[in-house]
Amino acid sequence: MKIAFLSESPADEAVLRVLVEGALKEQPTVASAGYRARGWPNVLQVLPAVIRHLHFNTDVDTLVVTGDSDDSPVHTAAHDAPQYYHPHCRMCQLRAVFRQTSKRFPAAHGRLRVRRVVGVAVPALEAWLLCGVEDSVNEAAWTEGQARGILPYTRAELKLKVYRTERPSLPYEIACAVREAERHRRDLRRLEYDFPGFAALLRDLQEPIPEIS
Amino acid sequence: MIASVAFRNFKALRNTSLRLSPFNLVIGANGSGKTSLIQALQQLRALAKLPLGDPATVTRAGGSEISFAFDAPHLGVIARLGCVDDAVCDLLRVESVNRADWEEVKVGLATMRSYVFDHAAMAAPAPRESGARLAGDGSNLAAVLARWQRETPAAFDQLQAELTRWLPEFTGIVVPEDAGGVVRLGLKIGDAEGPVMADNLSQGVFYVLGILVLSFDPAPPAVVCIEEIDRGIHPRMLRAVRDALYRLSYPAAMGETRAPVQVIATTHSPYLLDLFREHPEEIVITQKHGHEAHFERLADRADLAELLREGSLGDIWFSGILGGVPEES
Repeated sequence: MKIAFLSESPADEAVLRVLVEGALKEQPTVASAGYRARGWPNVLQVLPAVIRHLHFNTDVDTLVVTGDSDDSPVHTAAHDAPQYYHPHCRMCQLRAVFRQTSKRFPAAHGRLRVRRVVGVAVPALEAWLLCGVEDSVNEAAWTEGQARGILPYTRAELKLKVYRTERPSLPYEIACAVREAERHRRDLRRLEYDFPGFAALLRDLQEPIPEIS
Repeated sequence: MIASVAFRNFKALRNTSLRLSPFNLVIGANGSGKTSLIQALQQLRALAKLPLGDPATVTRAGGSEISFAFDAPHLGVIARLGCVDDAVCDLLRVESVNRADWEEVKVGLATMRSYVFDHAAMAAPAPRESGARLAGDGSNLAAVLARWQRETPAAFDQLQAELTRWLPEFTGIVVPEDAGGVVRLGLKIGDAEGPVMADNLSQGVFYVLGILVLSFDPAPPAVVCIEEIDRGIHPRMLRAVRDALYRLSYPAAMGETRAPVQVIATTHSPYLLDLFREHPEEIVITQKHGHEAHFERLADRADLAELLREGSLGDIWFSGILGGVPEES
């Protein structure tokens, strides 16, 4: 398995690497080039080009992509219905980009297409990092807060809890984020249960790589 | 340090004011007043060195005027510059309940520094004795680093470690001195026999070194102004640039105990601006219409949260929605 990552920041990518390794129970080969986006919606903007590049120019078989939901609608089971697409749900948007970009690609490098692995952190990746530390931080609490119009916490508060400062340096941010991600590495069940946006990523990761029949 | 600046008839800044934060990133079209703001601070610094005259005799009616107010504990101090034309100020009038307050403000102003780095000047050898403080164009960079290596090795080591983190192809800094007391700058590369000397280093390396010298200065000034902080630096390294400047303005966030340095920086980079999405209060937009310009704080924009749902801050700025873009004929 050869994996590439695309996320909103180097810190997010460092976390994803730990979580994906934990899910796979092994250390996958990671594409040497680090693909980067400059936050949302830049992830969405560069994703088609990254998919195209990986498909035709590399032997990468899996692309892991994540974004923060911020204030957008949270993905629900109803969105998974066949032919359903929520125009403002970031999970739906990312999946649609994969679908539309690669639907006419010919097979290349021994696979039909690059496997899609998509997750959305609600409302931000720092919520995943606080899972198991702050019981009140979970996707259900955020979704309920959105429905009531009273959010249980802000993204800034989550970041402050993880980094203890509003302005962490990048090396410090990565160190804090990886430390919290390492808590989950051995047992991802709590994160999977509290954050369906992460559970979706795990399900994608369990799908077979689309191979030429 | 400086709480606010108000302009009247100073270049394009005809009637505008700006509240200053610990960190200020100024964006806007060319010729819209970004550099004028920094020039005003330089003029204050220059005039503050001189003895104060009688307030009654240094008041000039009409003309250009720039007024400065200061943060606590100097809230009562107002410094007003009177200008002979719309560019040169030669009068300073200070309003202060307590003269000692102004004396304290002066001490801070005397340390203020402005930088427009010039890579060619930074590559040049420098006399050993010139290394007390980085020059405005960075032209004594080699001498400053040599002095740090001699006198403040901990700061030198910190800077060197950060440089090798930013630019991993390099493994260290060398600052050899010749018999005439002239210092040259070079960078070590891996296992290579000799260092790469300054005349063979790329422009961006000098800009990085300049920013790192400011960031790790063991005795930093109270106020630092830096023009075009993104110049010559790869967009992926701009987060490191931001962190280096935050290190000055928010030392506690980096685990340091020294006094904060007020930073006023300018940029034309949407990529750098993207990094301030969570701190719009630190962004100042210079808006120019015709021959007149004024300042706006990004955080004062009521619909900012809605706009940021639709795109990145840099892209939104480029689009023109926020203003601060060149006028088109």
